[in-house]
Amino acid sequence: MDLTAIGAGIAAFTGIGAGIGIGIATAKATDAVARQPEASNKIMMMLLLGCALAEATAIYGLVVALMLIFVK
Amino acid sequence: MSIGERLNELLTEDKTAIPVNIGFGPEGFFNINRSVLYSWGIILVFFLLCIFLTGNMRLHHISKRQLIAETIVVKLRGLVSGLLGSFGARYTDYILTVLLYIALSNLVGVVGLVPPTMDLNVTIALALMSIVLIEAAGIQKKGTGGWLKAFTEPVWIVTPMNILELGIRPLSLCMRLFGNVLGATVIMELIKMAVPMFIPALASLYFDFFDGLIQAYVFIFLTSLYIKEATE
Repeated sequence: MDLTAIGAGIAAFTGIGAGIGIGIATAKATDAVARQPEASNKIMMMLLLGCALAEATAIYGLVVALMLIFVK
Repeated sequence: MSIGERLNELLTEDKTAIPVNIGFGPEGFFNINRSVLYSWGIILVFFLLCIFLTGNMRLHHISKRQLIAETIVVKLRGLVSGLLGSFGARYTDYILTVLLYIALSNLVGVVGLVPPTMDLNVTIALALMSIVLIEAAGIQKKGTGGWLKAFTEPVWIVTPMNILELGIRPLSLCMRLFGNVLGATVIMELIKMAVPMFIPALASLYFDFFDGLIQAYVFIFLTSLYIKEATE
């Protein structure tokens, strides 16, 4: 039973947080655009920035998993 | 070869591009890394572009080349204009240079080469440059005593957190950029192995172009935000 593989699998769980967070952010962004369509450019820029920042924590999990598998 | 072997080759390969066999020093100490070589290529591309765009500049009746050059500069400066604050506005050109470097080096993956930012050394160097700039801007604005006092700024209880942020900020900047480029490159390799026909071009639109440019913008956005926060 190779514990490295189990560790890498657990590290991949960080994607859950990013998925939920970005989903909630997108929901609020669509609400805001529906409420005021002329502000949609600013809202889209803010949404993209927020998604890129929230994605970072999921990427940390990916880096940890890859390092576990490929660094001996 | 199988997917596992390809990934192994991609992630653990020896990255020497030009071996330089000078006598002293440990074995292979002066070898030129592949990321350094590609960075030289990026520098060359920007250098030639700048020379081409700024030839024969005039004050009135400007040529079309000069118009393009002026539009590029004005638009790029407008992109970061509000982010740096009033004191940080002197660092606009440095921030734009970093943005262009990271953007072009993330886009190198489109032609099939390994991007320089996939090397951890490059991203750590960029993050270290950012944190030195942030702290130097803070010291220049507030003086050394004021900068030290700024660690206790909102409430005195958060001082350990502020001291930790000196290390956490460059770490998160570096890891975010490195992880995104690494993930994009790995997924593009897997797609190229699975479906070599039309899908890699479409997927490259998202992974290389969109993701690469957004990550470059996020890097300089966060650096500018920290500079503005340190010089307020």
